[in-house]
Amino acid sequence: MGILLIGLLLITGLTLGVLVSHFFRVPRVVGYIFAGILFAPEFLGGPLGAETTEWTRPLVAVALGIIAYLIGGAATVAQLRHLGWVIVSATLGKVGGSFVAVLLGFLLLGLTVPGLPGWILALLLAAISTTTAPAAIVAIIHQYRARGPLTTALLGMVALDDALALVIFSLVLATLETTGFNAAIPTVIWEIAAALGFGMLGGLVIERTARRLPEQELQLVALLGGIILLTGLAEAWHFSPLLAAMTLGFSARLFGGAHSEPLFRPLERLQEVVFVLFFTFAGLHLELAVIRDHAGLIVLYFLLRAGGQIIGAMIGARFAGAPRVISHNIGLVMLPQGGVAIGMSLLLTGVARLEDSATLIINIITASTLLTETLGALGTRFGLARAGEIGGTTEIPRGEERDEGP
Amino acid sequence: MKAREWLARHPAVALTIAGDSSLQDAARLLLDHPEGRDIFVLDAEGHLSGHLGLWHLTSLLLAELRPTHSLRELIERITLGTVAEHMDDRMLCVGADEKIDDILHQHDIFQQQVERRVEDLPVVDDQRRLLGVIRLADLLRDAIDVNT
Repeated sequence: MGILLIGLLLITGLTLGVLVSHFFRVPRVVGYIFAGILFAPEFLGGPLGAETTEWTRPLVAVALGIIAYLIGGAATVAQLRHLGWVIVSATLGKVGGSFVAVLLGFLLLGLTVPGLPGWILALLLAAISTTTAPAAIVAIIHQYRARGPLTTALLGMVALDDALALVIFSLVLATLETTGFNAAIPTVIWEIAAALGFGMLGGLVIERTARRLPEQELQLVALLGGIILLTGLAEAWHFSPLLAAMTLGFSARLFGGAHSEPLFRPLERLQEVVFVLFFTFAGLHLELAVIRDHAGLIVLYFLLRAGGQIIGAMIGARFAGAPRVISHNIGLVMLPQGGVAIGMSLLLTGVARLEDSATLIINIITASTLLTETLGALGTRFGLARAGEIGGTTEIPRGEERDEGP
Repeated sequence: MKAREWLARHPAVALTIAGDSSLQDAARLLLDHPEGRDIFVLDAEGHLSGHLGLWHLTSLLLAELRPTHSLRELIERITLGTVAEHMDDRMLCVGADEKIDDILHQHDIFQQQVERRVEDLPVVDDQRRLLGVIRLADLLRDAIDVNT
């Protein structure tokens, strides 16, 4: 039944995504989420025989592994050097700012939910708050033909910050899966060291294997097989699957050198499928009553994340000597949050201590993603305009708007 | 017919550049020689070390016109380096004594592997020095002329 539902989710998600973006000019993700709601267990999912959403767990783990692999392979060491200190420092500031603001905000206000200690909720939301939605931001840059120092910094930062977000989220998960401070240290060290070791080794093997395969179709089999195998090993041997997949991507890129494109291009083409799955799965978990009861938490998360990243990015950029046009706008233009955040929240359904509260976190993240994809996109547009980097509007045919990507 | 005989009958300018040149220099070279579709990168000793095609070069320099980017392409777009950083160092090279009839078959197999459009096939000697290029357009013209 899971297979039938996945097919229905993909086709319905695609249809609703295209229709809502065409007729209502809203992000495609809104349609994806509605498709998920339609097939939730209490609606059409139940009669179709899918009374629970547990069957989505392995798919989410593999799909997030693919995204982590692509994030890990986004840049070479030489490119990181080229990016410059301003982008690196502003990224650290932005990620650190949103993390600290959400963490401290939730802790100081003493916010808690039933069945989950306040510090765990704060830590998880803080980790997820560090993500950004590159596709939504790039689409706005393209649509308004933005160019200039802020745009350049923005492009570098959206490509980098999800890598940091994955590291932070992996560390938080590793910490949550232990009991007590003394037990946490060796566990976390193993989770990280094994992930890095297996990831580096796997990347070397994948690169050498793919190099000898004559056809791209076979290379795709090797890539997907490698990611799924590593994710499975991580589950069996208790190391971080996300860190491992990200290191796998980094290692494949490192060993592939100038020839690494075939190691990434086939999976990049799968990215939209992954995001449709993430958003429709989030829709399956969405409960309007939960959102209504926790509307305050959702708005607070949105405001803390926005404030934290605006201030953090400003401090990071100023620290590196960035011009005012960058430091005063860079946090604002990075407000959209998307598929990676949703994927992270979905992954929580498989964490033993969070079984009861994962649904609530998915609801908070999904609702706030809808806010950031709409209001956040306005912030991106406003920030670029304030920086004087908007050149004009690229004519985009109706129904082909690209500013709705996750 | 062997590759060296083909070069004698169909002389074509091989566009070459040093690895530390900028992508803009590579683009200028191609624009100055519109009949060329591929640039070959030579090392300090004049050996063939890489290839950069028009399609690849265009996708790098006009990246801002594309509506969607992967993370990899985002970084590429703002860290445009030298020709050597973007060239393909795995190329299909034709030996001077190879038969022309075999070249297209090898070319097809190679393009399946690397997904790169290569229209000027480099002919090299034993030391990998560039002797010239065989243009796919010339092969096509020759095939049409023979058939008619």
